[in-house]
Amino acid sequence: MTVHFLAISNDTLFIYYVLSNIIYLGLLIIAIVKNVRHRHRLGSQRLELVKASPFTPPITLIVPAHNEERSIVGSVGALLGLEYPSLEVIVVNDGSSDATVEKLRQAYQLQAARILYIADIATAPLHAIYRSPLDSRLFVLDKEAAGCKADAINAGINAATSPYICVVDADSILERESLIRIMAGVFADPGRMVAVGGIVRVLNGSRVVNNQIEEVRLPKSAIEVMQVIEYLRAFLVGREAWAGFNMLPIISGAFGVFQRDLVMQVGGFRTHAVGEDLDLVIRMHRRLHEEHRPYHIDFIPDPTCWTEVPTDLKSLARQRARWHKGLIDTLWPNRDMLFRARYGRVGWLVLPYMWIFEFFAPIIEVVGYSTIILALILGQLSKSFFLLFLLFGYAFATLISIGAVLLEEMTFRRYSDWREVARLLVYCLFEHFPYRQLTMVWRLQGIWQYLRGDLQWGAMKRVGISTGADA
Amino acid sequence: MESISNGIEKLGAAGLVLQAILVSLLGIFLLVGFIVLRRWYRARYFRRRNERTVALRSQWDEILSGKISAEEWRFNSLDCDIVESILLDSIEMSPADKLPPLLDCLRVSGLLDMRIYEARTSRGWKQRTALLALGRTRAMEAIPALAEGLDSRLHETRIAAVRGLGRTARMEAAIPILDRIVTGQFDAPERSLKNALVNCCRTHPQVLINYVEHASGPIRELLVRVLGELASPELGEELLVLAADPLPEVRASAARALGNTNTSYSLPALHSLACDPEWFVRLRAVVALGQVENIDKIKILLRAVCDANRHVRQRAAWVLARMEPQLQQILEDVVATKDDYALQAFVSELERSGAIEKIVSGFDGSDLHSAETALMEVVTKARERVELSGKTVAAAAGAH
Repeated sequence: MTVHFLAISNDTLFIYYVLSNIIYLGLLIIAIVKNVRHRHRLGSQRLELVKASPFTPPITLIVPAHNEERSIVGSVGALLGLEYPSLEVIVVNDGSSDATVEKLRQAYQLQAARILYIADIATAPLHAIYRSPLDSRLFVLDKEAAGCKADAINAGINAATSPYICVVDADSILERESLIRIMAGVFADPGRMVAVGGIVRVLNGSRVVNNQIEEVRLPKSAIEVMQVIEYLRAFLVGREAWAGFNMLPIISGAFGVFQRDLVMQVGGFRTHAVGEDLDLVIRMHRRLHEEHRPYHIDFIPDPTCWTEVPTDLKSLARQRARWHKGLIDTLWPNRDMLFRARYGRVGWLVLPYMWIFEFFAPIIEVVGYSTIILALILGQLSKSFFLLFLLFGYAFATLISIGAVLLEEMTFRRYSDWREVARLLVYCLFEHFPYRQLTMVWRLQGIWQYLRGDLQWGAMKRVGISTGADA
Repeated sequence: MESISNGIEKLGAAGLVLQAILVSLLGIFLLVGFIVLRRWYRARYFRRRNERTVALRSQWDEILSGKISAEEWRFNSLDCDIVESILLDSIEMSPADKLPPLLDCLRVSGLLDMRIYEARTSRGWKQRTALLALGRTRAMEAIPALAEGLDSRLHETRIAAVRGLGRTARMEAAIPILDRIVTGQFDAPERSLKNALVNCCRTHPQVLINYVEHASGPIRELLVRVLGELASPELGEELLVLAADPLPEVRASAARALGNTNTSYSLPALHSLACDPEWFVRLRAVVALGQVENIDKIKILLRAVCDANRHVRQRAAWVLARMEPQLQQILEDVVATKDDYALQAFVSELERSGAIEKIVSGFDGSDLHSAETALMEVVTKARERVELSGKTVAAAAGAH
């Protein structure tokens, strides 16, 4: 019986591993082709013409802020400085217990305003709306805390006056041209393009002056560099490839543009969703498929948002557990979309992929590793084959990671110093042991927490960004 | 039971896996090697390009005048590329009177002919690059080659041709686009078409009128949208005809055009459009009224601020709140409508524009005090509604 079970388990892991590697290789190839095409297209794109065009639609930036007193003034200043002809910035203070609003009030001389606000999407009550006499594009919504980012974003959506909204994290930095670049994707096909995501990169280690990236550098610690590789792989390979077939399952909550009307139609961001960004995009797919509307949800790799990532294992563990909780929290309510013809490729390919290769990954890997070890002890598995297979898995996964670095090199080359690239390549060799195994444990914790009903976000320890003064 | 892995191993799977490892390792070395080589090559290329740019810039006047023969730089691909990009950048930035020597240099050196040839004979990315470069030359002889690009089977090439024609900013370049789109068979993104037509027809918007007359459905809407951006007072009667068009999108664009022309006939036409059964036509009319310099528009806007559609209401309030000298009178008029929604919208826009303080300070005179009281009552009622229904908030907390 045990032998039989071990054989099935080992075979499952074997097939799973081979399949996942084949899929990743496929995604890498698709991403390389798509990236090269995108680079050519960028060569013919003139951003100044997009800026000058009378047909460029207005956009509202929504900045949910909860206890962001350290960075909020600088962030808002940077957002108001973005290059876009018609911009509105709505900061939503989500019941901060620190001086977030006070800092904004001082910096922008905020005044309470009797501005019409209709809560098409229900949110926690507003205390006040403020406007700035210094910059008429800035509005601040002060609302009661609802304990979730989604509620703050929904309040911003209610107050937005533009046909497009862009959700930006208060602690992230958008490059000056990022909005015009991401909207260029929308302009390419405004009738069908309902949402577009940009790339999120790791800010840690880079030099920042006046809330703009002055010099891109790799972070110093290994744990942060590993995340740089992960982000490159996730965005430049995964999202680029999925988006190529209109199957993008997620647009990062840190930086994405959505058609406001559509977001309203699907009821806004789901309050108390752990992964509100993933949840929204899946619901958009669902709705658009149900209504048989032609649409495209795209990813564009050049508009860039820089964000701070966890610097210590504890924060990273919390973040990864939360991401996995967010994944289950979205997959489970949408399980009826699986293998249903009406949801097309999303139901047949991307959702099954997410169930099998994202959600079940830590379970399959842990069970698989355990049974392999047991099989080795019981002499049910050849040691030489086991070692060779491990080595193959390691080499192949490293190849994919280096492929992501290659994509970065071929396209955007943000790490201009060759020593930085050399470091990235070296870390690619160590990413799959033991970092990968650690993330597996954290994801398992996420599953456990979800089953226990613990849907808290958990705090992330921030070290702050390196400014010109202290660099 | 024998597992698959053990079974495969007996069939030589270990050797297979070993080969897979070797292939993976080879892949890793190739990728790393490619990255290193590419970095080295690019560094060398940009250093060389930089040096040649400095050298060519120092001889620029001679190159332009032909004192340095084109043969000296034309057949060196790097030099040729640098000279072309300097020329195209200069053409884009130059006023019309400075263009002839730049275009002469393009023609005499054969660069223009080379691009025309590439646009006609190349395919894919190279053809698209040539089309865009041709557009940047703004040369008349580039137009036929660009027009041929419109007939490409490839979507991307057609877009490049549309963009190229748009960049010439010549009225003649609009004709091939217009000829094709009125057939209804031409497939290119609407935005690219609109931008190209706006660029090409800026000085001669009347060229669009003929095509509008012969177009129908979405094509007609597209053309009128372009016209809405470019309309000039000379278009007069044509715009009035469009304002009565059966297609609501056309009427909406006509409203925009009327706002841009800002002539004596604009106001009556916009008055009529502000009463249109379609809300977005009314909205466009209200937006256009914001551009019309005529005090009589206040009456139309006061009616629009009581519109059943909240977008129309809000936009009318936006326009009214920016009519600085008349604000106090307008507030009284809005209060007199006894429409709470209108007053909310107006107060909201006064806040946005920052004019509320001026209005409130003007209430010191006892005659107007009733207006301020009415204003505050509306805000108070709105707050009560929030507490009751949780649906609407006039966020006035802390304002007074």
